[in-house]
Amino acid sequence: MAAEGPAVQVDNVSRRFGHRWVVRGVSMDVVPGEALMLVGGNGAGKTTLLRLMAGLLKPNRGTIRYSGAVGMVAHHTMMYDALTARENLTFFGRLHGLPQDGRVDRLIDLLGLTRARDQRIATYSRGMLQRLAIARALLHEPDVLLLDEPLTGLDDAASHTVLDVIDELKHRGAALVIASHQLVELIGAVARVGYMVAGRLAALEPIAGLDAGGVVSRYRELVAGDG
Amino acid sequence: MGELLRVTAAIARKDLKVEWRTKTAFVSSLVFAVLVLAVLYFARDKTSVGDYDLAPGALWVTFTFAGMLGLNRAFLLERENRALDGLRLTPTTPTALFLGKVVGNLVFLGVVELVSLPLFILFYDVPIWRQLPVLLGVVALATVGYVAVGTLLSAMVVRTRFSEVMLPVLLLPFLVPPIVSAVQLTWRILALRPLSEMTGWLSLLAAFDLIFFTLSLLLFEAILVE
Repeated sequence: MAAEGPAVQVDNVSRRFGHRWVVRGVSMDVVPGEALMLVGGNGAGKTTLLRLMAGLLKPNRGTIRYSGAVGMVAHHTMMYDALTARENLTFFGRLHGLPQDGRVDRLIDLLGLTRARDQRIATYSRGMLQRLAIARALLHEPDVLLLDEPLTGLDDAASHTVLDVIDELKHRGAALVIASHQLVELIGAVARVGYMVAGRLAALEPIAGLDAGGVVSRYRELVAGDG
Repeated sequence: MGELLRVTAAIARKDLKVEWRTKTAFVSSLVFAVLVLAVLYFARDKTSVGDYDLAPGALWVTFTFAGMLGLNRAFLLERENRALDGLRLTPTTPTALFLGKVVGNLVFLGVVELVSLPLFILFYDVPIWRQLPVLLGVVALATVGYVAVGTLLSAMVVRTRFSEVMLPVLLLPFLVPPIVSAVQLTWRILALRPLSEMTGWLSLLAAFDLIFFTLSLLLFEAILVE
């Protein structure tokens, strides 16, 4: 972990698919220990921006710099249905070059999957898969964690577990970027909100006491202003 | 180097474990192999086509197409749940990923070949026991080049909508030199021809392996990124 400076620095990044620009000139920094939330309608460019930040896509313009390791939770689990939770995490742990020090079991326990850890994940519910995907992303203790709709499919108890994990990561000094529509649950966990409108980062503002309704109003204001 | 081997082994082991659990490609390949060997055997006119004339072609048609089913599966597995993104989020190098996939495919195809070979001997009544080590050497040599190019192209077509159809269309033209060499060598082995008659074909096979393995390794990174 770098002691100073942003953990992730996005500088004038744009990305197009075919002729359509999906992300346009986005710039932002996220510092260690900070959680930033990206809000925006469907197709606003949130997922693409996260994939660019994860290095899964290359920007057509601009640069992205990190300090430290990056982890990501996306819409898909990025794991193998035919393997068990433990086998999947052990495999990804090996690819990260991690020691077999019991962290796989600790993460499985933390995310409440202990009883199902030796079941093939093809038998898992949506919520269990989401928790396992979070375990995979935390395996190598990333300095930057990108979360795309992290609470999707989770019940109240599991959502609270994930929110506790987010708090713990912030205390540890990780930088988090969260794209979500679940404002009510996540608003207390973030310091700033980035409003994505038609691929642009229309505003990046401190949460400053806004509740979920306030964020939605501000977003609508920006969409109206965008024409 | 140790790191490369460790990651390569982890990827190959994972692929084989998934295949062992599902047996999707293995069962299809084996059924296909039995079917092709049987159909070609019963379809010929025994009075005009002898066992030795048909056997080499039948063997390599079987290996080529049975192997294709396994190669197709190799990267379809990574498309499932976007597992390839999960791999790319780790420090795994494209070289380690390519080698892991190649090793997994080699083991897969090796097992299919080893199971098919006794059936081939049974159907075509070819007494190859004394020549078996040489034949296995040729099979191994041809399989390495085949798997290297097949792995590269499998990664290339996996994002297309009809990857199962695209793979044979793209791969078969590349396979003409190794398969023709392998057929020629198999025919000479079965006919107990001297080694001097085989060196040209063996050289062609070895050159194909060397060139295409190296090219596939070098091009893999470009294919992997988007």
